[in-house]
Amino acid sequence: MNGFNQLSGATKGYIVLISLVFLSWAVFKFLTPDNFGSYNNLISYFQASLIATVGAIGFYFVMDMGMFDFSIGANIILSAIIGCQLANQFELGYFGLIFGSIATGALVGLCNGYFYVKLRIPSMIVTAGLALIYESIANYMAGGVEQTLPSDLRAFGQMPGNIILAFITFIIAYLVLNYTKFGTYTYAIGSDEFVAKNMGINVDKYKVLAFILSGAFFGAMAVLTISYGSSMVAVTGMASMSRNFIPTMGCFFGLAFMKYGIPLQAIILGEFIVNIIFFGFISLGAPTAIQDVITGLALLIIITLTTKVNPGEIVK
Amino acid sequence: MDEVRLQVSHMIKNFGITKALKDVSFNINKGEVHALIGENGSGKSTLTNMLCGIYPIDSGTFTLDGVEIHPKNQVDANNHGVSIIVQELGTLSGLTVAENIFLGHEERFITAGFRNTNAMNAEANRLLKEYGFDRIKASSLVDDYNFEDRKLIEIVKATYFKPKIVVIDETTTALSQEGREELYKHMDRIRAEGNTVIFISHDLPEVLAKSDTITVLRDGEYITTVKSADITEDDLKKLMVGREVTGNYYRADYGEEVSQEVVLKVKNVTVPGKIEDVSFELHKGEILGFGGLSESGMHEVGKAIFGASYGRQGQVELADGTQINDIQTAIRHSIAYTSKDRDNESVVINQSIGDNIALPSLSHLTYGKSMFLDWSKVRTFADKFAKEMSVKMVNTEQFVSELSGGNKQKVVLARWIGRGSDIVVLDSPTRGIDIKVKQDIYQLMDRMRKEGKSIIMISEELMELIGMCDRIIILKDGKLNGEISRSQEVNENSLISMMV
Repeated sequence: MNGFNQLSGATKGYIVLISLVFLSWAVFKFLTPDNFGSYNNLISYFQASLIATVGAIGFYFVMDMGMFDFSIGANIILSAIIGCQLANQFELGYFGLIFGSIATGALVGLCNGYFYVKLRIPSMIVTAGLALIYESIANYMAGGVEQTLPSDLRAFGQMPGNIILAFITFIIAYLVLNYTKFGTYTYAIGSDEFVAKNMGINVDKYKVLAFILSGAFFGAMAVLTISYGSSMVAVTGMASMSRNFIPTMGCFFGLAFMKYGIPLQAIILGEFIVNIIFFGFISLGAPTAIQDVITGLALLIIITLTTKVNPGEIVK
Repeated sequence: MDEVRLQVSHMIKNFGITKALKDVSFNINKGEVHALIGENGSGKSTLTNMLCGIYPIDSGTFTLDGVEIHPKNQVDANNHGVSIIVQELGTLSGLTVAENIFLGHEERFITAGFRNTNAMNAEANRLLKEYGFDRIKASSLVDDYNFEDRKLIEIVKATYFKPKIVVIDETTTALSQEGREELYKHMDRIRAEGNTVIFISHDLPEVLAKSDTITVLRDGEYITTVKSADITEDDLKKLMVGREVTGNYYRADYGEEVSQEVVLKVKNVTVPGKIEDVSFELHKGEILGFGGLSESGMHEVGKAIFGASYGRQGQVELADGTQINDIQTAIRHSIAYTSKDRDNESVVINQSIGDNIALPSLSHLTYGKSMFLDWSKVRTFADKFAKEMSVKMVNTEQFVSELSGGNKQKVVLARWIGRGSDIVVLDSPTRGIDIKVKQDIYQLMDRMRKEGKSIIMISEELMELIGMCDRIIILKDGKLNGEISRSQEVNENSLISMMV
């Protein structure tokens, strides 16, 4: 144990994360050895996990500043539908798909950030309210019809397209977080907004920028989502919320492993763990309700064990 | 002839009704360590926080090297050549050491929007080496270092750009002797370079040893500026606390016998890092005071008694042997506590006066023995005790957030009086409160004492401890450092000699 404590923070973090990956794989491999966890299966789980990872990495900028976003699902649906329409109906091809989705995502992020900063009400409430509007816009634009991406525009739904797009977003996030003052200010605002303000940081501006960046990443996630699933249905009545869960869980991994200095890496491996558990249950043939219960519990346990809260610290 | 670096002219600062600075004017010279001393609340930190852009200036001017400055924030102050090392932790978690050192000044490492992290780390490592702090690594997260090392990082952050003025605000209390020596070394260096240190400290021997000039503030007013070589520690104490007490609003009795009946025993209580091996007894009808410097641990004593400390060891025991280990048990056994941090720890700021008063008594305000609240009982209860405490309000439906500090404190006291508490722990009960409400609170305490209630009063205001308490216990560095019984002969100097 002393040897472990002497390791660098990042090494400790990687050991914990890789152990969790191995543990979650080993449990299901033991329970269902024939149809789970082969090398090819693991590659496939990893590819599936990349979709949510892209969104989670963008969302990390918002969550690390202490804010939240309930419009993730609505953003993904709206961005995917606009990207699909630009690619298909406006015949803009891949440019339309990528530019349309990412620009829409960023615009949604701008709206979230702008209204949050101007209205000065909690980000959860602002984004929940706006999510209803985004859902309605998506529904209007789709005309109530499922939007299908033509098969010749689905390169980002499989290797190597999905890996390339995801890799580009990871590199961007890594550079922004570690090599720009925006990245430093993200942590500074999350650590103590009052002190950050006293350091001359325009806190409101950087909060809006965080939402824009996060939105753009959800736009990229929308490209991967519609390319992987081939179509997108516009939903209303907050039904888009079901899409919030997986990117948010990945983001929790990032926050929990921030202390090890590897938040982005933790998000990538965290989403992989979430997918291993998810596909493990499918291999077991477990009913959806049981899958959800056990997945939820497993993730709560992982986050609880990896998050250290100081005595007396208020957790909300 | 000394050359003036900073002119402070007619500086005024108000926080609501509290006058923190009242027309303060004095000069600070180049190439000196200029100490700023005074009791808590004398205005020292308010003044330097305004100079460093942390608080806006209400009225008055700072003139630095002949140019009037109005710092908008700390970075703006840095750009004018002023920096500060604060008493509390001034580094930000989640950032590396280098990011903390250059926070707000990253531009020099940025090209085309991208920061050259390697260059920034290299520069930070160079500075750390130059300061002799080689063991601290620029690329490590600041969270990896202890409080003292983080203070050393702050020294680098505040001085690497050779500011004209460096404010050191009660920093030494947080440092070990080794850390203090490091700080003194850099104070000497700043002075040798012809720049100025404004040094705030409660440690008078340290002030006399390390400063060239001393300015004394009292109750937000400028008292005097003296040369350190021309004054003794005793004279300084007199200047700090030498005010005449006007108005007889403290207790007038002396020589009254306190009951021998012990209502609370505190045995060997330790809260790691805060208080150590604290033992005392509280008697029926007694007002027991706790004094000391702000960080002496006295505020933790109140929390420890109320079961609100984390990691507490030792015993807090009532006369019947009941052990108080948590807040619920404390309240159930008639112990009340009001925190120094009134807005965050005592009142529920966004609830009504009525809700705040009734909160710990709700279980007695139901329909019979049911679990359903009887709102007419709740309203009657809140109205009764708000009226008894003369809370200035529209009605008990009014939100607490709309009240002044004094009236918020009355709401807190009404809550515990309504609960019928027999042991009341009051931490800084008159903090930020005007004289009239102070008098009301002192009269209430005297009345409670006569009714046989026991009170523990923790305060940074020495005069109110002397004026109100039957006994005063002084804490220093988390340990008991002396006890004084009520007498007309006790003055502030008697307490200060045990505090510093």
